[in-house]
Amino acid sequence: MSSKDVIRAAVLDDPQSHEDVHVHAIYDKIATHFSSTRYKPWPIVAQFLSGLPTGWIGLDSGTGNGKYLPLPYDRPGSVLTIGLDRSRNLLHIARTAGQNPSPTREVVWGDVLGNGWRSGAFDYAISIATIHHLASYERRQIAVERLLECVSPSHGRILIYVWAIEQDQLSKRNVPLDHEALSESTEPIVGQDVFVPWAMTPQNVKAKITSNSKLQAGSSDSSDGPETCPPPVYNRYYHMFAKGELTMLVRDAAKALKIEVGVPEEYTEPGTRGITVTQDGWERSNYYVELRCWEI
Amino acid sequence: MVRLITHNLLACHVKGCTTNNFPLQFQDVQIELQEAEFNPDFVRNLLPRLEWGALVDAAKQVGDTSLPPEQPEMTDDDVLQKLHHVLLEIHITEGAMVCSNCKHIYPISNGIPNMLLSEHEIG
Ligand SMILES: [Zn+2]
Repeated sequence: MSSKDVIRAAVLDDPQSHEDVHVHAIYDKIATHFSSTRYKPWPIVAQFLSGLPTGWIGLDSGTGNGKYLPLPYDRPGSVLTIGLDRSRNLLHIARTAGQNPSPTREVVWGDVLGNGWRSGAFDYAISIATIHHLASYERRQIAVERLLECVSPSHGRILIYVWAIEQDQLSKRNVPLDHEALSESTEPIVGQDVFVPWAMTPQNVKAKITSNSKLQAGSSDSSDGPETCPPPVYNRYYHMFAKGELTMLVRDAAKALKIEVGVPEEYTEPGTRGITVTQDGWERSNYYVELRCWEI
Repeated sequence: MVRLITHNLLACHVKGCTTNNFPLQFQDVQIELQEAEFNPDFVRNLLPRLEWGALVDAAKQVGDTSLPPEQPEMTDDDVLQKLHHVLLEIHITEGAMVCSNCKHIYPISNGIPNMLLSEHEIG
């Protein structure tokens, strides 16, 4: 099996513990290596950040190595994005994200399910490749609710990206799709829980290998020195989204917060809060959705 | 990093702590001044969304008394410069932020604030 293969997974334990073991602990271990492979901003995200008015403040919920914190490149310093992440090791990298010498970035150690902001404080929020690490539908919905709560009800903008079951050729990942279940299921929108192996490269292993054998999820179980030991493989948990699932999640989150989904012209009652879905699509193996808040 | 711009957004989120949970109070802080590029448009546009009183208080707690108690109506360059300094050039590197209501302590170490809660504190 190549390390690009994806393994079917089931969330058997409590979702929180599942994430602790199969997401948080792994990112702290692979932070440096992971970060060295994640530097290109996705075009839709770059475009979203380029379109923001000067003086806006935003949250990058699940910022990872902070690759979106220096954006937009064409107007650096015109907006300020604060990075939130669960991995402290990734945050240390995020603090100085960007070209050298880079100004210090604002980062906060926290959980995307937390709510440590005054309500509506941000002008925008992005959540890129993060919500798919949450191990239940309810938790993914809460994460979306947190985004809706932290931005301005009158003008807040939100962009969410998650991993799709529908993978493109470029990603070279081999996903064991259950086509039968997908086509015959009466429940049309069901994603898939998987483990995605992260293989450390040998040069990274030399620097990293210490006493972390407990987390090795690959076949390596030897106590040989780093010279002969195959690089450890860490299986990260993902929930791969089905077509339509992200939109459904957004609708459920909005409903829970009594936020309408539509355009303000459709509503008359003063005080109504709503969101308009301005973009909803698939790009490079991911689903994304862009939302704009309104209030009448 | 915790700069005052971030502090102006953070609130306590311990389960049930919903009143007087903003702003958090600084405790035993160490600060570091770091020059940042001045962008007057950024500061001017940001102004309406700040909690002014909280900002003035927080600035005092870290030893800066340059801001007027009331939000100025005129935003000339002098005001914008002062705001720029207070919001973006004072870095709190060590210490803590404490909730006035429930007294929860959010530690700051190496410039990173810890807003994680233990399981029983999550709302
Ligand atoms: Zn509190």
